[in-house]
Amino acid sequence: MGIYFFSIVILLLGALLSVVIKDDNKKLKSCSICSVLSTILTLIPAIYTIKTGMPLQISIYASPLLGYVDIVIDALSAFFLIVISIMSSLGIIYANGYMKPYLNKGMNISSHCFSLMLLVISMMLVVTAQNALFFLIVWEIMSLSSFFLVIFEGEKKEVISAGIKYLVYMHISMIFILAAMIVLNAQTDSLRFMDYLAFMQNNGAHANLIFVLAFIGFGIKAGFVPFHNWLPEAHPAAPSHVSGIMSGIMIKTGIYGILRFLLLIGTPSKIISYAVLGVAVISALYGVLYAITQHDIKRLLAYHSIENIGIIGIGIGAGMLGLAYDNTFLAVFGFTGGILHILNHSIFKELLFFAAGSTYLKTHTRNIELMGGLIKKMPYTALLFIIGSVAICGIPPFNGFISEFLIYAGMIKGVPASGISLFIVLVLSIAALAMVGTMAMLCFTKASGVMFLGNPRGVDIDNVSEAPATMIFPMTVLAFLTFFIGMYSQYFISYASIPASMFTNGVDAVGDLIYLFDFVGNIGCYFMLFLAIAVVILVIRYVLGIGKKTERHSTWGCGYNRPNNHMQYTASSYADLFISTLKPLFKRVSHIKKPKDLFPKEAYYEQNIEDIEEAYIVKPLIMWDEKFLTKFERIQNGNIQQYILFGLIFLILSVIGMIYFGG
Amino acid sequence: MLVTCFNILILLLVPFLMTGIIKKTKAFWAGRKGVSIFQPLWDFLRLMKKGAVVSNTTSWIFKYTPVIGLTTVIFAALFVPMATGKAIINIPFAFVIFSYVLGLGKFFSLLSALDTGSSFEGMGASREACFSTIVEPAFFITLASLAALTQNYSFESLKLILQNAGGYGVLIIALAVVTLFIMLLIEGCRVPVDDPTTHLELTMIHEVMILDNSGIDLGLITWGAAIKMFLFEALIANLLIPLSWGWWESALAFLAIVFILSVIIGTVESSMARFRMTHVYEFIFIMSITALLILALVVYRIYGGG
Repeated sequence: MGIYFFSIVILLLGALLSVVIKDDNKKLKSCSICSVLSTILTLIPAIYTIKTGMPLQISIYASPLLGYVDIVIDALSAFFLIVISIMSSLGIIYANGYMKPYLNKGMNISSHCFSLMLLVISMMLVVTAQNALFFLIVWEIMSLSSFFLVIFEGEKKEVISAGIKYLVYMHISMIFILAAMIVLNAQTDSLRFMDYLAFMQNNGAHANLIFVLAFIGFGIKAGFVPFHNWLPEAHPAAPSHVSGIMSGIMIKTGIYGILRFLLLIGTPSKIISYAVLGVAVISALYGVLYAITQHDIKRLLAYHSIENIGIIGIGIGAGMLGLAYDNTFLAVFGFTGGILHILNHSIFKELLFFAAGSTYLKTHTRNIELMGGLIKKMPYTALLFIIGSVAICGIPPFNGFISEFLIYAGMIKGVPASGISLFIVLVLSIAALAMVGTMAMLCFTKASGVMFLGNPRGVDIDNVSEAPATMIFPMTVLAFLTFFIGMYSQYFISYASIPASMFTNGVDAVGDLIYLFDFVGNIGCYFMLFLAIAVVILVIRYVLGIGKKTERHSTWGCGYNRPNNHMQYTASSYADLFISTLKPLFKRVSHIKKPKDLFPKEAYYEQNIEDIEEAYIVKPLIMWDEKFLTKFERIQNGNIQQYILFGLIFLILSVIGMIYFGG
Repeated sequence: MLVTCFNILILLLVPFLMTGIIKKTKAFWAGRKGVSIFQPLWDFLRLMKKGAVVSNTTSWIFKYTPVIGLTTVIFAALFVPMATGKAIINIPFAFVIFSYVLGLGKFFSLLSALDTGSSFEGMGASREACFSTIVEPAFFITLASLAALTQNYSFESLKLILQNAGGYGVLIIALAVVTLFIMLLIEGCRVPVDDPTTHLELTMIHEVMILDNSGIDLGLITWGAAIKMFLFEALIANLLIPLSWGWWESALAFLAIVFILSVIIGTVESSMARFRMTHVYEFIFIMSITALLILALVVYRIYGGG
């Protein structure tokens, strides 16, 4: 436990150093050294907890207001700590390369570094704090520090508006979490989670209400549909390492919150489990559907975060259904798959955001329609992005497959055991998951194909060069991890199964667990076989190719010999067949100016696809809200005398109220 | 061991004969004599001796995709019960691995098409990606329902329908055959979804994606495509061959079914034109419907009166 606090102190030190040091170049360096050190230190208690299964615990009497603050590292916290510490330190190392063009330009690097370190500290505290008020405090610090990170390039209008949107969403989320905590506090008169446990398990109706409140609150943070709207705005606005950290780990704290409350209520009711699974399936489909329509690479990745949060949610929802129906296999595989997917998603999503950031740094655009041919100039980044793409589609032999496979396995074997409604829901969820996988494939072949392959589509790539080593290194580590987890899945599954077993504690799942390890351990061997076959075929191909003439020529254009770069397939045309098939699900906004007259001067066609949730729910709500609130404009007229009058009226009213109701 | 070798031999060689038989059937219906059924094999061997023309635009993706594609189909084949009735790797949830491994091949073939920077190949890739988003869910619904019905989670569930489905066995098998046959036509790029013989790029899906491949690469790709189609024929054959049969009986029945299916594919190809691209969707949705019907029948069988 001491080591854990020491690692937080080191992070704080890094935060302070970044303020004290004058030289811009050294600020990030000191931050990365501190964060790597603290990562190593954090891993010690976290791995100890996962290995032994013994929670580390300490209670500090903080103040009369807070009471006892419990800092607990149990298996679930430990799992999240591992994810947070490793991924954040890789992100901060990456920032060294990414921030280079911004240094020494008079931008406030100090506050950026400070917020970055504060974000990491608060995330680490969020997953260990077991005192309601303390939890809310660090949760708020987390939201605020990430807000400051998002508005780093605050001189741009769209960055500020995205930042404010993010801030508003986070505080709506806060309201729900606060409400859940207030109900709990009012009922138990305590701030400690351990007191809530007993209360929640004995009061079913209350527990359901509290879980729903918490699910909405944490769901906004995690980005479940329909609370997802901040993601596609905030991620593109933020610098890439921040997007990586936010999408890779910060939104997972929302999942953590849901899981923590799930632990409090014990066995969930059936209706809530179905609701969670339903929301998750919709999130997964919705996220990937809209990802396909995006041309801004970071928006596209943000929508994919929604998709993957959905997949994690499907795992958790399936696990909850398993608990609710007493179907141990479903519970074990669902939770293990969902929790493993948290780790997996944080790895490949960070990888993809970093690779996207590298291309942004070199081409100065996020619009994939303008890129193309980058694989020749940035071969490593291209390779890493493609590895990330394959992994995020859940394709073997990378890590995404393992967690999705566990979820599939749980649902397929969970199907026959229990009840007609569960049967149909599970089969349809399986189909949805399969559809999400293929749509992700469509989306990522589009993204990596249009960004890196073919010829340049707009941006002049002659001066583009490979990203610096400080950016390549963390990406290489992440790519290696995706492959390593895919090949040696048994170790990671056993790590993920320990936090998962906290949920399935009440049921006898030993047989299923043994099945899990025995069976999935072999999958790595099969992938070895896969690689062996690939090597054999490669060697045969190579031997056959010796002495054969290979001519270089231009691409076959059906006899047309002067193709130009604008004749290539674009991202829009690649996705168009799919989008036009599902027309009703999108709101297309077209701006057309047709060519006129005999000598047409200018003409253009532009098409955007708006998020229907935003277009039909959020925007009308805001319109209505504005209409309503403008009626009160008169009150705020800048006249100080009137404001004093308002104060006076308020005082009088409250005094009257006190006299009336106080007695 | 011997049986495994036999299976692998069948896996590697029969696909050539299968395409040969399809060609022969088409020739028969067209009133021609046609080429020998071994012609695809000779074509393959000839391609192996050729040099290649490679586009300047392409990168390593284009170079290695044929190898990745062939590897994925051979690896996926290990999970499918072959001629002798047993899969080489017989594990539960094999269809998930099967489908996702084929997905790896598809992922790279899509990228390779985009790698050439050709508008034709991009178009083919777009169509291929688009159609698989509808095909896969239907495949998963079918296999998951059958797994639930038979309480067997490997591909052997295909062989156990009759024992478990009571009076609905024949109906479920028929629906499953239809589903998988449509999937075969889509994944194998046959008429009415795609036309492997046309040279009009605008109407093609899979063929157009490999316009730029030549020489050894083209050989590997055509071989891989034939094996892939053969896999789906094998799945259909599994539906029709009970698990209890001995290895030589299954092998004979298996080869017979593969032969008959190839003749049917050839006949379909001779008797109808390929659909317009907008109608292909409607055709693919038939597969979703049959898959849902299987689900409904299985639910009725387990929870209904049957």
